[in-house]
Amino acid sequence: MDDSRSSLFSANASEPPSAVAAAIAAAAAAGHFDELRGSATSELGGALSPEWARFFDLLGEPGLDDLDRRMANLRRQIRDNGVTYNVYADESTGSQRPWAVDLFPLIIEPEAWQRINTGVLQRVRVLDRVMADMYGEQRLLASGLLPPALVHGHPGFLREMQGAQPAGTLLHIAAFDLARGPDGHWWVVSQRTQAPSGLGYLLENRLAISRQFPEAFEAMQVQRLASTYGALVESLKRSSPAGNDALIALLTPGPYNETYFEHAYLARYLGLTLVEGSDLTVRDDRLYLKTLQGLKPVHGLLKRVDDEFLDPLELRSDSTLGVPGLLQAVRAGNVLLANAPGSAFLESPALLGFLPALARHLLGEELSLPALPTWWCGERAARGAAMARMADCVIKPTYPASPWHDSFEAVLGSGLSQRGRDEWTGRILRSSDEHTLQEQLPLSQMPTWQQSLGDSGHISQRSLLLRVFAVSDGPGSWRVLPGGMARVVGDGTGANSAYASMQRGGSSADVWVLAPGEVDNTTLLQSTPTPETISRRVRLVTSRAAENLFWLGRYTERAENNVRLARLILQSLNGDDQSSQPLLAWLSAAAVDNGLVLSKVPTALQARRVFERSLIAGLASEDPCSVGHNLRSLRLAAAGVRERLAQEHWSTIVHAEDDFFRRCAAYEGEETGLPVDALRILESASGHLAAITGGQTDRMTRDDGWRLLSIGRHIERLGFLSSALQLALDTGALFDEAGFEGVLALFDSTITFHAQYQQTREVAALVDLLVIDRDNPRSLGWGAQLLRGRLSRLAGGRAGDTGALSLAVPNPDLWELGALCRVGTDKTGISPQLPELLQLCCECAYNLSDAISALYFTHSTDARHSIGT
Amino acid sequence: MKLRILHETVYAYAPAVDTAQHIVHLKPRDTASQTLLSHTLAVSPLPAARSERVDAWGNARSFFALQTAHEELRVVAESTVLTQVPAPMPEDGGAAWEAVRERFRYRAGSTWDRAAEFVFASEYVPFHDDFAAYARPAFTPGMPVLKAAEGLMRRIHADFQYESDSTDVGTPAVEALAQRKGVCQDFAHIMIGCLRSLGVPARYVSGYLLTVPPPGQPRLVGSDASHAWVSVYAPPADDVTAPGTWHDFDPTNDRVPGEDYVTIAFGRDFGDVSPMRGLLHGGGEHTLDVGVTVEPLE
Repeated sequence: MDDSRSSLFSANASEPPSAVAAAIAAAAAAGHFDELRGSATSELGGALSPEWARFFDLLGEPGLDDLDRRMANLRRQIRDNGVTYNVYADESTGSQRPWAVDLFPLIIEPEAWQRINTGVLQRVRVLDRVMADMYGEQRLLASGLLPPALVHGHPGFLREMQGAQPAGTLLHIAAFDLARGPDGHWWVVSQRTQAPSGLGYLLENRLAISRQFPEAFEAMQVQRLASTYGALVESLKRSSPAGNDALIALLTPGPYNETYFEHAYLARYLGLTLVEGSDLTVRDDRLYLKTLQGLKPVHGLLKRVDDEFLDPLELRSDSTLGVPGLLQAVRAGNVLLANAPGSAFLESPALLGFLPALARHLLGEELSLPALPTWWCGERAARGAAMARMADCVIKPTYPASPWHDSFEAVLGSGLSQRGRDEWTGRILRSSDEHTLQEQLPLSQMPTWQQSLGDSGHISQRSLLLRVFAVSDGPGSWRVLPGGMARVVGDGTGANSAYASMQRGGSSADVWVLAPGEVDNTTLLQSTPTPETISRRVRLVTSRAAENLFWLGRYTERAENNVRLARLILQSLNGDDQSSQPLLAWLSAAAVDNGLVLSKVPTALQARRVFERSLIAGLASEDPCSVGHNLRSLRLAAAGVRERLAQEHWSTIVHAEDDFFRRCAAYEGEETGLPVDALRILESASGHLAAITGGQTDRMTRDDGWRLLSIGRHIERLGFLSSALQLALDTGALFDEAGFEGVLALFDSTITFHAQYQQTREVAALVDLLVIDRDNPRSLGWGAQLLRGRLSRLAGGRAGDTGALSLAVPNPDLWELGALCRVGTDKTGISPQLPELLQLCCECAYNLSDAISALYFTHSTDARHSIGT
Repeated sequence: MKLRILHETVYAYAPAVDTAQHIVHLKPRDTASQTLLSHTLAVSPLPAARSERVDAWGNARSFFALQTAHEELRVVAESTVLTQVPAPMPEDGGAAWEAVRERFRYRAGSTWDRAAEFVFASEYVPFHDDFAAYARPAFTPGMPVLKAAEGLMRRIHADFQYESDSTDVGTPAVEALAQRKGVCQDFAHIMIGCLRSLGVPARYVSGYLLTVPPPGQPRLVGSDASHAWVSVYAPPADDVTAPGTWHDFDPTNDRVPGEDYVTIAFGRDFGDVSPMRGLLHGGGEHTLDVGVTVEPLE
């Protein structure tokens, strides 16, 4: 046999990949529908369904041998794109997990999709009508079609919106979780209307998976998603009070929410402004976005915040995620909320049992896509029927996560002992309303490519739930996104699990809906803008983004300065200049001044090694001035403006922090850690920071947000360098050979200086280069001039303010070398004007920071509290 | 009785509050036994925006926003109402409590009674087994619902100690039940919790009492501030599916409210009708001073 043609999976290399797959893919667990073979009674070796056979055959000649490589590509892409799911909302460590997506897509043939499509459209129409009735005339209660317990008894039914919902569509996005039974039919398991997740992740899945299988994706006529997203945005704009000119924003709970990645991703994809509650304010029943340019009216919110948190004035008063007064703006019709607040009661599983009658009543139609049989125990007859079948059911809370009820996690009846069933029977009899039973269905299984470390992969069957989305595309009209997200149960034995949850370690899969005819190749990017819309496009900078960018700049510079200073110290302590007393005095003072060592630590003059050890030990400490802390703060500030940063820029920031802490931990773990090893850690951090500043300089749009980032950096630099120079004067380091070189090094100006002045060490020349020279980006004059320029270009919150800010920076045009250094008057050659100027620069840096903060930022951390009598 | 109500609320802030938004329920509503004759709401400093709307239960709800820094907020509600003695409890005490409970159990196609809204758990009165256990002795088999409610009121009054500052607005009703003390708000919540846990609709009433009682009568508890009591729903004894009537009980004072009571608003619990709530930006500490005077006119 030719070695180059040998295959892990087939003795006969000429066998088509579909035959290989059929031969090696185990059948689905007994009683489960086998997606791969299109039947519930499949067996190993059984032929694949035509769609799956086509998929495998389109792998081409390398066939299944190539899957490990594609899997590796996929993993890399997910990691590089930074697709994450925050497992725990932890502020400091920001514990994130890479998004889990399987290699194979779930393939849905056109006929099956047609049935899902029709059934989902019908259901969203019913749900929207039910919601409109409940907030309006409540005829469905009067006619006894719906129990009041599921409406008035549901904490998510908002009295605040009674009689005040907008006239048009209420549900702009609805998600349905479907399960495929052994007979191949799809069933509705649950529905989500408050703030359904998945629309962002599924796009990322599509991008990643279509790239792994470009041939199959093209050839199999997979339906595209872009036009549906486009229709949703258009529909939101048209439904909003401002029509096509509307400013629509995506309201996120913020970076600590578990699905924040997709909020940022979706906002960018849909062209919406990503906002948090503190970015918004309500004045006179109108919603505004706080931006650097002042308040901008907002006409619509696509919300990813649960209803109860939307408005601390009327709903949960402890919510920091919402906007006080938002509900008033909604009731006044001044802002469109998608979805309309108060839809949570539609999510109750108990509602499923009542929908068939509601559909007959409201639409005169039978529901074409059935829900799993579901019994609300608050109805005596249903309770009896359901409890008799507890072993075949899932026990679900009628009011999930309700603060007013004993909420519980869904329980599988089949997993309960007799005693367990008795206990549940007791609970259900005591509080019948709060329990709903749903028939448990053996979930269909799809092939997944599983690979354990070092081994080649294999096909494993996993159970799945399919989440599909209906989105509005006009008044009272919806379309179903032709795709979705398959949620795949985590372990191979998951045959019995009815749930696939991302929080529980499940995975996801792309969903390929095959088109019966032509594929709609619209992309959102191809919508042709007119010159008017292009020239009108001003990128809004929210006050919160501005604040994060400003601090991103400051932390970046601060980290760089501390790294440079720490390197200089370690080099000096271990180099030729060890004996220079002024140098050691200066470095010790600067280290204390910048928080690298505590002031109680002996100076390098007093106890050199103690000083050195303290410095190294403090690099990754919890101290707010440590290098590690600065890198972490840098990352947190960047996370708050994640949607504005290029992918590689963000990755570098994350990597810089990880790498630094990992290396420091390794260093501490070693008993024989040498200063030179610590130096290497700092050199690595320095390299990362150079990449980060490169990204900031070269890869960001020059808008006011970027200007603030730059201002933040130069405020920090001005403060750092002027005080370091002051200390060099005070300690006499400037007048010492080694000290002189040290100052040049800290200003990153060694090469420039010696290129101009060779080996002379004239103080006046140094002052010229480090203070006055406008061509040296490390000089104080350059920094002051740049700050004045940036500040004058910054959009004014109020007219004239930025002019004042810019004038607060010392004007380098007025600095004269002759006045700062009067040669011959004093043996140092320094006039008292130099320390005065340094003092001025230092104060200016701090005052400027306060002034900018007061003028531009949201102060989202400000105390906001509620009172009541 | 024609009554004049002066309800003054003063918040002092240190440091000053930058901006604030408030929602208040301070305007007495019309009821079968009460007519609002006049009402003014004075706010200082002058709000940047002000509006009033009618909530889901027909109560007036005012909103105002302050956009400038202020160290003091003064809200003065002045109302005149004409009250009558409410319709007395039917002699038979309404339908038996078990029949009321059955009435509000859902069956397919059963007719809807709007009072159903007040039989469910709510934010300040979540269900708890302790409520049912405490209520049981008053709810003997076949007992008419209003007689049972009256018995429950008696028990609460006898068992519980009225103690200012023993609880705050955030104290859960079930906790107040356990410690057997509280303020009028707790007494009302406990009684509501007991009634609902047995399937009887009950609502929370916020209002006032005459400050100085008629000669020869004792001054009532809660007369120097806003007060709260309970309203219980009773379908007629002969036809439990026919529309019923609401009857008020004041467990704090162990009596049925008369023309010396003024209703401001009713809802599921305190959270629906709190006299004043607000959201402040800035500020720090605050002190609160509330004064209520209810006096007969003419």
